[in-house]
Amino acid sequence: MIEVRNLKKIYADEESQTKALDGVSFAIKKGEFVAIMGPSGSGKSTLMHILSYMDRPSSGQYTFLGRQINELSDHDLAHIRNENMGFVFQAFNLLSSSTVYENVELPLIYSAVSPGSRRPLVEDAIASVGLVDKTYVSAGKLSGGQKQRVAIARALVNNPDVIFADEPTGNLDSVSGAQVMEIFEKLNASGRTVILVTHETYTAQFANRLIRLRDGKIEVDEPITNRRKTSEEFFK
Amino acid sequence: MRLNDSAKTAFAGLRHSKTRSLLTMLGIIIGISSVILLMSIGQSAQNLILDQVKGVGSNLIFIIPGGDGGSRNAAPASSMGVIIKTLVARDIDALKREVSVESALPEVRGQAKASTDINDKTVTYSGVTGDYFVARNLLPISGYPFSKADVDSYSRVAVIGKKIAADLFGARNPLGRTVRLKDINFRVVGVLDTAGYGPLGIDQDNAIFIPVTVAQKLMLGINYYNIVTVQAKDVYDISFTENRVINVLRQNHKITDPTKDDFMVRTQADALDLLSSITTIMTLFLAAIASISLVVGGIGIMNIMLVSVVERTKEIGLRKAVGASNRDIMEQFLIESIMLTFVGGLLGIIVGAVLDVIAYFILVNFTTIGWTFSLPISSILLAVGVSTFIGVIFGLYPARQAAIKNPIDSLRYE
Repeated sequence: MIEVRNLKKIYADEESQTKALDGVSFAIKKGEFVAIMGPSGSGKSTLMHILSYMDRPSSGQYTFLGRQINELSDHDLAHIRNENMGFVFQAFNLLSSSTVYENVELPLIYSAVSPGSRRPLVEDAIASVGLVDKTYVSAGKLSGGQKQRVAIARALVNNPDVIFADEPTGNLDSVSGAQVMEIFEKLNASGRTVILVTHETYTAQFANRLIRLRDGKIEVDEPITNRRKTSEEFFK
Repeated sequence: MRLNDSAKTAFAGLRHSKTRSLLTMLGIIIGISSVILLMSIGQSAQNLILDQVKGVGSNLIFIIPGGDGGSRNAAPASSMGVIIKTLVARDIDALKREVSVESALPEVRGQAKASTDINDKTVTYSGVTGDYFVARNLLPISGYPFSKADVDSYSRVAVIGKKIAADLFGARNPLGRTVRLKDINFRVVGVLDTAGYGPLGIDQDNAIFIPVTVAQKLMLGINYYNIVTVQAKDVYDISFTENRVINVLRQNHKITDPTKDDFMVRTQADALDLLSSITTIMTLFLAAIASISLVVGGIGIMNIMLVSVVERTKEIGLRKAVGASNRDIMEQFLIESIMLTFVGGLLGIIVGAVLDVIAYFILVNFTTIGWTFSLPISSILLAVGVSTFIGVIFGLYPARQAAIKNPIDSLRYE
C-alpha cells in the first residue's frame, strides 16, 4: 500500500542545509500497525508529513495506493487526503465552537458524499468511539480523552485506507491514553492500517512493527513480538 | 465542496463572532444607507424643481439679452456680469405686431430694501407691464393689478406677494398703504394670492411688482429689459413661434450673421433639459460622496477578514489536512466577506429607506416645500450590487491569503 524508496527531505536556507530525511526506504502493507519512533530531530514528523501527503519529499519516491506523489497536483493530494487518509493529531485540532457532529462531518463536506447520505456515516463514526450521548455537545466542552475520540471519529468517517496518528496520547492522562489506544487496536484488528508517530515506548508497543529513526535514517525496522494489549493493562 | 456547505461554513464563522461581524457590517450599513438616502433626496429635489418649472406652462419662450454664439447650453451674459442693453421696448412692439403671440411680457428685476412703518426687508422687485398679471394668471386676493395706464403714466403703485405682505404689514390691510423702495414711495394697490415659484425661479409670494417704466427709469436708470417672456399661441407649434421671434429680433437688431445674435431664445423645454441634467449631476455627485464611505467600509471588511484569517490559521490547517483544497478555503472566506457586505447592504437599504421616510415627514410637516417621497429602485439595485461587489473586491485578498497557507505550518501555528 505504501512504498518509500530512498526518500530525502532537505531543509535549506542561505547558510546551511538540514537533512531531515536522508535516504529512507520501506514498505507498509495493508493491515499493518506501524509505530514510528525516534528522538526529536530524528525526522519522524517530517516522514509522517510526507506519508500523509501534507508535504513533498526533496527527492526519492513515495507511492501510495499505486500513485507516485511526484505525479500528483496539490489538488490531487487534497483529494486523496480526503478520500483515503484519516488524521489524528496530538493537539486534537477540533473546531471548539462546533458540535461533535459538525466536527466529525467536516471531512465529508469536502468529499463527494451527498449531504443526504452523511448522517448515518457521521453517527456510525461517533458510535464507534462511544460518544453517542455527546453528539450535539460543543467540542470545546469535552475532556481531553473525549476530544481525541472525536478526532478519531472524524478520521474514520470517510472510511479511509490508512489512519495517521501523530502523538495521539501526548496530551492525555494514562487512562484516556489507554482508551484511545484501545480504539486504534480495534481499528487495526478490523483490518485498518494504522501509522503512529510516538516517542513513548509504551505506546509504540501496541503496534506490530517498529520503525526507529535517527538523524534522518532508519536505525531499526522490526516486528514487535511482545505486543501489548489494552485488555491486559486496564480491563482485566 | 458544495456551495451550500460553503455558505453554511461561512455563516458559522460569522456567527461565531457576532459582535465583530455586526461592527464590521456597520461601515457598509452606513455607506449604503447614505447612498440610498442621498439618491432619494436628490430624486425628490429633482421632481420638485421640474414640477415647479413645468407648472409655469410649456408654451413659454424666454428672450434673454446676450448671444450664445450658437451653443444651446451657453450661460446668459448677465450671469457673467456683462450688461447687454439691446432688448428694448421697440422689440416688444415688433413682436406683438409681427409674431402672433398670446403675450410678450418684458421684465426688469432688482433687489432693494422695502420698508414700511412697522418693518423692512430686502426683496426682489419686478418691473412688469399691466398685462403681466392676466397672462401669468396672478390674481389679487384683494385690490387690483396695475393697468397699462399706470405703466404708461409712471404710477408709483405696487402689487405685492402674499408672504411679503404679511412680513411688511403684519395683520394690517396693506391696500392703500405705502411701501418704500429705494426712497420711492409706492402705494399698494393689490395683494396676490399664494402663487409659488414663477418661471426662472422667482418666488412670487415674496416679490413686489411695480410698473416696468418706473422700475427702469426711477429705480434702475436703464431703458432695456432683463428678460422678455413670450407666450406662444397654442394653435402654433412652439418651435414655429420660436423661429418667428428670432427672425423678428434679428431684423430689429439688424443682425445677418446668426452667430452674432445679441439675444438668446430659450423655451421651457430647454430649461427643463438643463435643470434635469443639473439635478441629475447633483444626485450622482451626492451618491459619489456617499460611496467614499462604502470604500472605507470595504477596507474595514478587508482588515477584519485578514485578522480573522490569521486567528483561524489552525482551522485552515485542519480543513486542508482533512481534504479542503485551496479553492475550498478561498471560497469559504470569500463567501464570508460577501455575506458581510450583502447583509450589510440589505440593512443599509432598510436604514436608508427609514431615514428617507423621516426626511419626507420633516420636510412635509415643517416646511412649505411641496416635497414628494421617492425611493428610486435604481438606488436599491445599485446598493445591493455595489455592496456585493465590495465584498468580492475587499474579500479577495484575505481569502487568497487563507487559501495559500501551508497545512503543516498552519496546524503548528500557535
